[in-house]
Amino acid sequence: MSVPEAERLARVGLSLLTEPGDARVAAVVADVGAQVLYDNVLAQRDDSEVRRDARSRLEGCDPVRQLEQATRAGLRFVVPGDTEWPTQLDDLALAPPLQQRGGAPLGLWVRGPLRLDGLGSSVAVVGSRSATTYGADVAAQVAAVVARSGAPVVSGAAFGIDQAAHRGALGGGGTTIAVLACGADRVYPQAHRELIEHLAREGAVVSESPPGGAPTRVRFLSRNRIIAALTSGTVVVEAAVRSGALNTANWATRLNRHLMGVPGPITSAPSQGVHQLLRSGAATLVTSGQEVLEMVAPAGQHVLEEPRGRERSRDRLSMSDQQVLDAVPVSRAVGADSVARTAGMALLKVGPALDRLRAGGYVEREEDGWRLAALAQE
Amino acid sequence: MPFATARTVSLQGALGHVIDVQTDVSPGQVGTTLVGRPDASIQEARDRCRMAIINSSLTWPATKRITILLSPADLPKRGTHFDLAIACSVLAADGRLPGAALDGAALIGELTLDGGLRSVPGVLPMVLAAADRGIRRVFVPEPQAAEAAMVPGMSVLGMRSLAQVVAELRGEEVPEADPVAAASGSRLLSWRGEERMEEVDLADLMGLADARFAIEVAAAGGHHLMLSGPKGAGKTTIAERIPTLLPDLTAEEALELTALHSLAGVLDPGAGMIRRPPFSAPHHDASKASLIGGGSGQVRPGAVSLAHAGVLFLDEFPLFRSDVIEAMRQPLESGDVVIARTDEQVRLPARGMVVLACNPCPCGDFSPAAANNRCTCKEVARRDYRNKITGPVADRVDILRHVEPLQPFERNDRFARPEDSASVRLRVTQARRRQAERYAEVGWRLNAHVPGAALRDSWSLDEAGRDRLDGDIYDAKITSRGAVRVHRLAWTVLDLQCPRDPGRRPGVSEVETALALRRGDPLPLAALRRRAS
Repeated sequence: MSVPEAERLARVGLSLLTEPGDARVAAVVADVGAQVLYDNVLAQRDDSEVRRDARSRLEGCDPVRQLEQATRAGLRFVVPGDTEWPTQLDDLALAPPLQQRGGAPLGLWVRGPLRLDGLGSSVAVVGSRSATTYGADVAAQVAAVVARSGAPVVSGAAFGIDQAAHRGALGGGGTTIAVLACGADRVYPQAHRELIEHLAREGAVVSESPPGGAPTRVRFLSRNRIIAALTSGTVVVEAAVRSGALNTANWATRLNRHLMGVPGPITSAPSQGVHQLLRSGAATLVTSGQEVLEMVAPAGQHVLEEPRGRERSRDRLSMSDQQVLDAVPVSRAVGADSVARTAGMALLKVGPALDRLRAGGYVEREEDGWRLAALAQE
Repeated sequence: MPFATARTVSLQGALGHVIDVQTDVSPGQVGTTLVGRPDASIQEARDRCRMAIINSSLTWPATKRITILLSPADLPKRGTHFDLAIACSVLAADGRLPGAALDGAALIGELTLDGGLRSVPGVLPMVLAAADRGIRRVFVPEPQAAEAAMVPGMSVLGMRSLAQVVAELRGEEVPEADPVAAASGSRLLSWRGEERMEEVDLADLMGLADARFAIEVAAAGGHHLMLSGPKGAGKTTIAERIPTLLPDLTAEEALELTALHSLAGVLDPGAGMIRRPPFSAPHHDASKASLIGGGSGQVRPGAVSLAHAGVLFLDEFPLFRSDVIEAMRQPLESGDVVIARTDEQVRLPARGMVVLACNPCPCGDFSPAAANNRCTCKEVARRDYRNKITGPVADRVDILRHVEPLQPFERNDRFARPEDSASVRLRVTQARRRQAERYAEVGWRLNAHVPGAALRDSWSLDEAGRDRLDGDIYDAKITSRGAVRVHRLAWTVLDLQCPRDPGRRPGVSEVETALALRRGDPLPLAALRRRAS
């Protein structure tokens, strides 16, 4: 199954002419197809708003050359119909737009060896750029455990939580990919050049924006929907009340993906947004990578044992035997009648109970009565 | 003339008094009396001096009455270093030495029966006191000449025997003598910043971004720090590296510290002035006297004073004895210790950074993160352990940090670039320079030393920062003592940023970082990035 060249070139052209994530463009493409829309724009027919906007960039638009240049730079353009196309992105076509962003992308520009069709089990770890050391540690820890289990970790290569997630995943020996708001050939933020170049060599750097595209504010919103759509679940670690991570969380909800939140100290401003998600019931509370895996994995895999208190041997006794045991003193021996009085139970029942407890090693019989054995004192 | 005066110095804590040793040799009932509140070791000096003089082929006025007064007579005096002054004073009073030669000189040293000199503790503080009283010439045992020579403007004569001293005073050729025997006992402090500097470095540490920032702030402002965490989390490893972040001592600090080490008798005579900040890590069995100072007889500085201008590390702090923990309150608060005796009160400087480390529980495995909690302690034992660090002591610690053991993914992090000590030391030095300039007129060195009232009046926070801190006081989230400590920390956080505008005061972001440091809350990554590079 291969995509016709004309279709791919039309999508390259539209990727150059339109803003990534423009919900209107996605709607028209879904309706009439990419080739028809592209031809319309080129032919200057059918003067709708979408087409008029697209024509502002028409000058110098050369999809063939763009694709050649991108290939030379090590980029590929993955479109629907390619075997590599991550079909989970098609869910975007069904979700309502958010801030006029929405719809399936025309295609994804990819740099790096990792194939996008292997991201079905992937998990997004996102959060605030103005994170704290706590958030960074937790994000790295969650990402490391998820990546170690074989699920790729997806994030945005930004400062703070994003960077910690990528590094945690790599440190855990797993794969991780970055979805950027700028072109996949560019590096943003500059401080993360080494990290992004490493991902391009070992994993993948993905973008909806054409090569050379600048990281504008609006493109971050479009990018967030790709992160949510690519993954089977999104974990939010530290997001203040006005954080871009909440936008990703919103998309995860719209796309029926698992949304999870790691709580922070209740006094911490960078965790307020996460706490809101948890309080409103939008997100499930998770505290570790294992809990994330339990959420996103197919039912029955990664089932966690509930944390429980240490079981003591006396917990296995029947309730009435425990009642008798409680009535046996530690320091001195007493008669069975005294035990019965203290326990508030008939002597008739206390006698056999004491015998059972002695057999179990909980009490000892001495000359002048009963006392607690060492086992019961632990 | 049957009367002569020689001078020496008596020490009371770090305070030195110049003592006139006056001797009268006149006819009368034969005998030697020594007055002026000498202690037992000075009483014995009569015998040491008599034999030393005789065995140096000099003459002891055996047929006269000898009266020796240590003046001023009301001060209690201790130590064996009076020997040399007593012997010379007797010789001069007997006319064997020109009395004028003793003018303007101080004599320090213990005598052996064969007339040799022995080293004594406390030479540097003695010579400092002598210089302060206008004395320009000092005789000391030869190995301690270098120590005495640290005092500027002092002419130091290092001598091996009484005969040499006498020859020098008579203006004769100085005879040969056997070298002075090494001081008895070995050095108690075998851990000097300089030696450790070559072995440990911050670059050895992976992860721990949080703790790294905390020790940088602590080092820059001289703040006290508590590290808590399960065993094996790296508390000791971190603490040992704090001295590597500190710049060399200033001349003033070096003199103070060397004097303290000299008082304690732990100064290596060959090493000269101490230039590197000290690191002292007494074991938790330490007695109160060894930690705070005291002891019988002469007051000896404790570990807190020996770590003056450096780092005092108390590992497993809750295991220290309760009286020791309580006694730490004073040095933590005021930067000095006062040792009260029936007849004297000794004040010693103790202005080092105090670093406390504690486990979360007696077994050391308790972790608040329940998933990996392997603690086997009973709840009561845990509570008792925590209660050992009483509120007043904890309240005096500026920075609280929890340290968790390194995770495998952190060890494997190929993008971690652990900064080395030298780079951090550069920032700490810059930040300390800013503080020294700011407080130049009032003489404090570091933010941690500035009294609360002075901070409020002269070095306040900016308006928004003050509002932020006041809010926490109103909400009873912080005590007012705590607020003063946060105020100091906020200045250090700002000093580490080296802001271009010299008039800038700490604002909301510095206050918030300081609050997080004090409470043990996670730090904003932005604050870690803001350090000046």
